[in-house]
Amino acid sequence: MATAPAYFRRTDTAGTEASAVRPESTRPERDRFLLRSLPHEDVYFYCKKIDNSRLVREPDPRGRGACWSAIGVACLALVSLTGVLAPSVATTLAGYKLEALRAEEHRMVDERRALELQEAQLLSPERLDRLAQTQNLVTPSPNQVVHLDNQAKGAVAMVKK
Amino acid sequence: MTPVTLRDMVERRLTWLAGIVLLWGALIFYNLVSLQVFHHSEFVRKARARQEQVIEIPAPRGVVLDRTGQPLAMSVPTDSVSVNPLSVPNIKVDSELLARELHLDPAELCARMQQAFDNRRGFLWVKRNISAQEAEDLRNLHLDWIRFESGSQRHYPKGTLAAHVLGGVDFEEKGSWGVERSLEADLRGEPGQVRLLTDVKRRGIEEQLTSEARPGTTITLTIDERLQFVAEREIAAAVAQHHAVSGSVVVMDPHDGQILALASFPTYDPNQPPVTAADQENRANHAVGVPFEPGSVFKVITLSAALETTKLRPDSPINCHGGVLTLFQRTIHDSHLGYGILPMALVLAHSSNIGAIEIGLQVGRENMYNYVRRFGFNQRTGIPLPGEAKGRLRNWTKWSGTSLASVSMGQEVSVTTLQLAQAGSVVANGGLLVKPRLILKEGDEVPPSRPPVRVIQPETAIAMRKMMEGVVLVGTGRGARLQGYTVGGKTGSAQIYDYDSKHYTHTYNGSFMGFAPLTNPAVVVVVTLNGTHGTAGFGGAAAAPVFKAVATEALRLLDVPKDLPDEPPPTLVAKNESVDDLAIAELGSTQPNILEDKDDDDQPAAPPKETPVKAPSVSQAQLAPTVPNFTGMTLRAVLVEAAAQGIVVQPDGSGVARVQSPPPGAILHQGERIRVQFTR
Repeated sequence: MATAPAYFRRTDTAGTEASAVRPESTRPERDRFLLRSLPHEDVYFYCKKIDNSRLVREPDPRGRGACWSAIGVACLALVSLTGVLAPSVATTLAGYKLEALRAEEHRMVDERRALELQEAQLLSPERLDRLAQTQNLVTPSPNQVVHLDNQAKGAVAMVKK
Repeated sequence: MTPVTLRDMVERRLTWLAGIVLLWGALIFYNLVSLQVFHHSEFVRKARARQEQVIEIPAPRGVVLDRTGQPLAMSVPTDSVSVNPLSVPNIKVDSELLARELHLDPAELCARMQQAFDNRRGFLWVKRNISAQEAEDLRNLHLDWIRFESGSQRHYPKGTLAAHVLGGVDFEEKGSWGVERSLEADLRGEPGQVRLLTDVKRRGIEEQLTSEARPGTTITLTIDERLQFVAEREIAAAVAQHHAVSGSVVVMDPHDGQILALASFPTYDPNQPPVTAADQENRANHAVGVPFEPGSVFKVITLSAALETTKLRPDSPINCHGGVLTLFQRTIHDSHLGYGILPMALVLAHSSNIGAIEIGLQVGRENMYNYVRRFGFNQRTGIPLPGEAKGRLRNWTKWSGTSLASVSMGQEVSVTTLQLAQAGSVVANGGLLVKPRLILKEGDEVPPSRPPVRVIQPETAIAMRKMMEGVVLVGTGRGARLQGYTVGGKTGSAQIYDYDSKHYTHTYNGSFMGFAPLTNPAVVVVVTLNGTHGTAGFGGAAAAPVFKAVATEALRLLDVPKDLPDEPPPTLVAKNESVDDLAIAELGSTQPNILEDKDDDDQPAAPPKETPVKAPSVSQAQLAPTVPNFTGMTLRAVLVEAAAQGIVVQPDGSGVARVQSPPPGAILHQGERIRVQFTR
């Protein structure tokens, strides 16, 4: 691999070898006080005007097709990737939701049990009897209850006063 | 030496680079193989340990319902709180915080936590089965050193109702008494397990069922909570009123053996664990587990055996010897002033001990023993309640000379209230022994019941019913008469034997066994009061009113049609015979109170000894109403006439009355209906 020191060393060596081969006579004596010429001092730049207006881009149907093919493949790949990953993502999200709903269900079941217990306590015969006594309600005596036969409206018994 | 060209140098370095990359890839591949193949199971396990939670699916203990679907016992999920004392930041401050939220004594909790900390214990229960509000308050503190353990707590929402039937559970929710214990296998559920895949925040993503939870089976009892409440209320009131020690009531359907109510007093609250010895004693089920000498109610068995094995019939004369009988050189006194010759029906009605002995002697030892056994005594009924007593009856081959006489009037034999109900059902249902049933349904399945066994002939049962009706109408059980229904029953008052002094005391087991209505009994009710005192503690005075209250409620709840007018016809009311409180007189008597004379019935309607009464069956028949002649009357006219006379008519057809049964002029027995056929 080329490194910066090696490069400069090589260029220095190449300059030394060229000066040794070249005859001194071919080169006029230089004025010692004359400034050294700058590299590429003899190169002159100028602007050349080129008219490309006559150039017309030639249509390339194959290139366009290739481009669209690439775009299509990319889209297809994206869709495929989405199709592959989407169920997994959806499953995960659904799993979160499902577990949250299950936890809610358990909580609701527990709450329902607690409410059933409360209802059973409230419907205790002892409590109802106590409440009935406070409101002066009494169980009808046998001769007060009259059973109504063949009543269509759901009445099965009435209490005589 | 060949100078190293740039290409060579680049190639060499690229070679090294490729080698290193290859080696790197090889290492990665090796690591992958190692992870995915060689240590696959290990890392899967580690991953599961981090990502999966094994969660137990609770299987609540089965609910116990009464026959109408009202819950009598149920389990509710609860939380229990524990801490690791070693990780509690500040025991003094945190214990105060916990105590305030859980309503505990701060000093006591602090001392417990400090003691656990000093002993380097990493676990301490703070409070078990906390309320939902306490759990919510505590969770809102968001303290990571507080742990919650999910559990379940058994509740009995009706308090003491049916406590002896339900029993109770221990702190692990394992049945310790009653059906909770006997049906433990059905009631106890099996928890399941799921593996829950969680994210880093321990939120559930997906769960996999490992084992299904099997909740406990719902048990539906034959008990009716309304009737049970009435039975418990009445027996508690009776025990308090008569200063008795204990009492029990059994209400049974005589046709299929379903126990509609089973009450025992003293009672207890199954929600509270037993603490004292008295609490343990209160858990004794007197209806099932405490046998006693039945006394005169056992005469029903004696007379049934007599009807089956001898030529005795309800109107057969029985010599009551004026209330004194010498048997095997022992003199047996009747509790009353004494009767002369009575028809067998009145022996039962007036509960004559001498008469029962006379009848028993005709039955004989072996027959008596066999019939006692056939009525279900001296053997367990098989009801699913732990600690059922089978009672006691010696084999007839080991009986002494007076044993037959004793057994004939309900002594030298011990029975339970439930066995009496079973025996009463035999008479009530026409002679079949039906085993008591307490479980109506297990889940949705109806448990199979044992087929009934014929004990006595239907004719015998009907005859016994009529004789037992006499007990309520004219005998010792008048306190059991019901409004609107015919009743059959038998009282019993047996002295309690003192094992220390080897003598019978003057405390009594007062009992009443009865059924209603007479023609097709819907319920059999047996009431027993143990440890009553004086005549007010006899069966007719103490137990019969309880029977009346319970049977009235039972017939109302079961919607049993009445078979009597609400106000009983005056002609059917027995004459108010003089009540000779002979038991009191006997207490003051200097005569030895021998074993055979310890059975006294209450309010014996006995005439003076000097004038032994003849069988009043004729006079009773004369007093009874006769069947009117409905022939030729319209339906409306028949109904008006029947209503005016307080007679129940069963009309059939339309038009004019042509045929009636019983025929005109026949004696109309109480509760009997007149069938009238109408044609045009």
